[in-house]
Amino acid sequence: MSEKKAFNTMHDRNMQHMNLLQRITKPLTITGTYLFLFAMALIILFPFYWMIISSLKTLAEYREAVPTFWPRAMIFSNYAEAFSTGNLGRLFLNTAYVGVVSTILSLVITVLTAFALARLEFKGKNALFAALLATMMIPGELFTITNYQTVINFKWMDTYTVLIVPFLVSVFYIYLLRQNFMQIPNELYLAAKVDGTSDLKYLIKVMVPLALPTLISITILKMMGAWNSYVWPNLVTKKDEMQLITNGLRNAFNDTSGNTNYPVQMAAVTLVSAPLFLVFLFLRKYIMSGVSRSGIKG
Amino acid sequence: MHMKIVLENLTKIFPSRNKKSGEEVVAVNNFNFTIPDGKLIGLLGPSGCGKSTTLYMISGLQKPSSGKIFFGEDDVTELSTESRGIGLVFQNYALYPHMTVLQNILFPLQNLRGKDKMSKEAMLERAHEAAKLVQIDELMDRKPSELSGGQQQRVAIARALVKMPRVLLLDEPLSNLDARLRLQTREEIRRIQKETGITTVFVTHDQEEAMSISDMIVVMKLGVVQQIGKPQEVYDNPENLFVAKFLGTPPINVFNGVVRGEKLYIGDADVLSVPGINDQEVYVGIRPEGFILDPDGALACKLSNVEVMGRDVSVVSTHEASANPIIRSIIDADNVINTAAETVRFSLKPHKVFLFSKADENRIRFEVK
Amino acid sequence: MVDSKHQWKAWLYLAPAIVLLLVFTVWPIINTVRLAFLNNYNSLTAVNQEEVVTFAVGIENFKTVLRYDGFLTALKNTALLTVITVPLSTLLALLIAVALNSIKPLQKFLQTIFFLPYVTNSIAIGMVFAAMFNVVGNFKIPRLVSTYGLVNNIIMFFGGDPINWINAGSGYWANMFVLIFYIIWNALPFKILVLLGGLQSVNKQYYEAAKVDSTPRWRVFTKITVPLLSPMIAYVVITGFIGGFKEYSSIVGIFGNTMGAPGNEGALNTIVGMIYDVLPKQDYGLASAAALILFAIIFVVTMINMQVSKKRVHY
Repeated sequence: MSEKKAFNTMHDRNMQHMNLLQRITKPLTITGTYLFLFAMALIILFPFYWMIISSLKTLAEYREAVPTFWPRAMIFSNYAEAFSTGNLGRLFLNTAYVGVVSTILSLVITVLTAFALARLEFKGKNALFAALLATMMIPGELFTITNYQTVINFKWMDTYTVLIVPFLVSVFYIYLLRQNFMQIPNELYLAAKVDGTSDLKYLIKVMVPLALPTLISITILKMMGAWNSYVWPNLVTKKDEMQLITNGLRNAFNDTSGNTNYPVQMAAVTLVSAPLFLVFLFLRKYIMSGVSRSGIKG
Repeated sequence: MHMKIVLENLTKIFPSRNKKSGEEVVAVNNFNFTIPDGKLIGLLGPSGCGKSTTLYMISGLQKPSSGKIFFGEDDVTELSTESRGIGLVFQNYALYPHMTVLQNILFPLQNLRGKDKMSKEAMLERAHEAAKLVQIDELMDRKPSELSGGQQQRVAIARALVKMPRVLLLDEPLSNLDARLRLQTREEIRRIQKETGITTVFVTHDQEEAMSISDMIVVMKLGVVQQIGKPQEVYDNPENLFVAKFLGTPPINVFNGVVRGEKLYIGDADVLSVPGINDQEVYVGIRPEGFILDPDGALACKLSNVEVMGRDVSVVSTHEASANPIIRSIIDADNVINTAAETVRFSLKPHKVFLFSKADENRIRFEVK
Repeated sequence: MVDSKHQWKAWLYLAPAIVLLLVFTVWPIINTVRLAFLNNYNSLTAVNQEEVVTFAVGIENFKTVLRYDGFLTALKNTALLTVITVPLSTLLALLIAVALNSIKPLQKFLQTIFFLPYVTNSIAIGMVFAAMFNVVGNFKIPRLVSTYGLVNNIIMFFGGDPINWINAGSGYWANMFVLIFYIIWNALPFKILVLLGGLQSVNKQYYEAAKVDSTPRWRVFTKITVPLLSPMIAYVVITGFIGGFKEYSSIVGIFGNTMGAPGNEGALNTIVGMIYDVLPKQDYGLASAAALILFAIIFVVTMINMQVSKKRVHY
């Protein structure tokens, strides 16, 4: 009896001890967690902050021995200068044109292919699908070599075609959309047949609206890809006026001698980054859901 | 406008799933039937009997391996689903989830081309008519996800009816509804079919459902039609043991019996005279309502229990010659039963007793005096 | 379900994709292998001469690539960057994801911030990083330095000496530090997104059970969180390795396409960078051999990763 009592009190004391410990540690852990996250968020955000404030400084202020964390006077003329230095206006238009056209065409091709793979019956479907998936394992650089050769042979250098056509088909997007299409019950297809619909009309009227979130994700990723593409345009465009925005940016400010006009360069970088940020702000949900399934950038 | 449907030697063979074994599955075997104009037909059978395949062949969603389908005089065997002008209600309704009720109902009309093309106003009017017929005209702006199962079912029917199909097909239309709704909806289907007069075929595994609303039922098993007829006829006159067992709740009681000297014996008891039948072993099917409580009856069963169900009394007993674990007989509640007794004795109503050959389970008919 | 006599219709839907894939995917695969095994194939020699030039079949291109000391530099840089950045960024992302998962207020907001680097142009933000590490003036002659730049000023604020990070005369490891820092910064968003998604789909009951057993926090992390999250971790590690071996544009972002600090061009080149260097010279044989070697490396590393994760991943 007494033993049991002793055990009880010990247990109670233990409990009190635990409670006290918890009362101290819990807020500590929460505070620690937030401190860690805020510190990390600061590191993540800082380059953006630095980009923007640097773009607003005068060259003299930028070159002061101890950097200022807020510009003494906001100078917006850096933006005007950046715009003219890199011929950015023209490159903006180029990039927008290439982005829009390649996204639209790519969507059409992706939708048609994914539909055939998801819903239509034909011989060799599984083999074709497996072959498509297999190509995803091969690094894109391997294709670039021959494609470079091919577009030279096609005399496509310095055209919009060369910036658009070679990358219209993305096996990954086809795969993504096909998976989405497969989730749409087959009965809807049969019902549409009974309702007198052709395959194409069913695709447009039923499947496309139902797969809209995936299509939006694909659209954004494709646009981002066009906006960020650097390597391919750099290879296949020799004329400055046919380049895309990233090339223009890199080539106009390709100098680490230490004497670069950094405020102007940062203004240019801000200009190039801004559209993506705006898109992200409005379509965060679609981008994040698309990306979490992809694992590739752009 | 409406028409009979003729199925001629209709056969569907599916290639085996397993390519190596190469075994084919005969889903529907040589189906011949003329569905009369304007009737409601129930295709009935256990799962895998080929009833849905038959329905899908009529719809054109599946092509027969051989045989022909006629709508009226037109051979539609090669016609694609889109051009057959049928309405089909799917088991899970298959409503377009991104469209409102109205858009769903309008959808088939918007697909009409050529001389059938309708004006917007005419389409709207027709859609509202169809909605009114199934009593969902209040719900036109809702999305399918905002409707109950029964309401979705009605929308599906309205969508199937709106283009005034030559044939209306329903695939297990009630299986996704709860019991109460099922009763109500099947009356509804009957009413709509009567009002529109459209030749209608529906598929079900629930014999009660088929019996209650069909003008005719087709009982199928493993791709082969077992019997076709009016529900009561088929019930009263099954052509084989399978049909007898499949129809009726509670199900028919089956005994192992012997015919000797034109008399039917169950165990040692001579229960019925069966003129014109040769001596042989037989299956004896006795409908639950075929038993008469009779202290002098020949058939003595061990009484298990008595269930009073208001109008009727269900007597549960056992007999060693019974092919089932229990015998269930239904008798009028007026009868007084000694529930403490060990044995209960029955005499039989001859027209509720069916004999089936032990060899092929086909009916052996005898004259009822 | 549907019998389709009109198979050709399906091929009509597939036609655009198939034509493009044949030209820009299937043919390149075949051709790359072909060119890699044609000794010293160069399209200038192939096209410019009057007579048809034939190339012997052999492994000469592979030998050239392997002998070329630029390749060894590239291989070393690529491997170092990958081996250092993938574990670090994965660990950091895991910590951030777990921290994010444990909080309620501000979770969505912080999650959005941590995703931001993903929606940036890696060349453009590379230039921002370069600016932060850049020294304006001549590092060797302190009198001529107008500012040591942001990062050095922070170091000096804490009493350290300024370092020549990326300018002329900067050292290899200083360069690498900047690159590693940038690559990790850039790799975090995707990893956090995937890991957080994984954490959020873990059944809360495991944690409640652990609480009932009063399991200490670190044990919960190592014995419950990490094992349950192991498929996601394996996924980000594998994609991280694949991406790491293809590293290129982060270096272009910071150092420009000279792939190195001024006066030390090419010192930071990677395998992909090397392929793009040879391409404009039309040394396709060499480029193809390098690409096949890259493919082989990625393939082997992925296989090893998968084998390891097969043993370690708890599904």
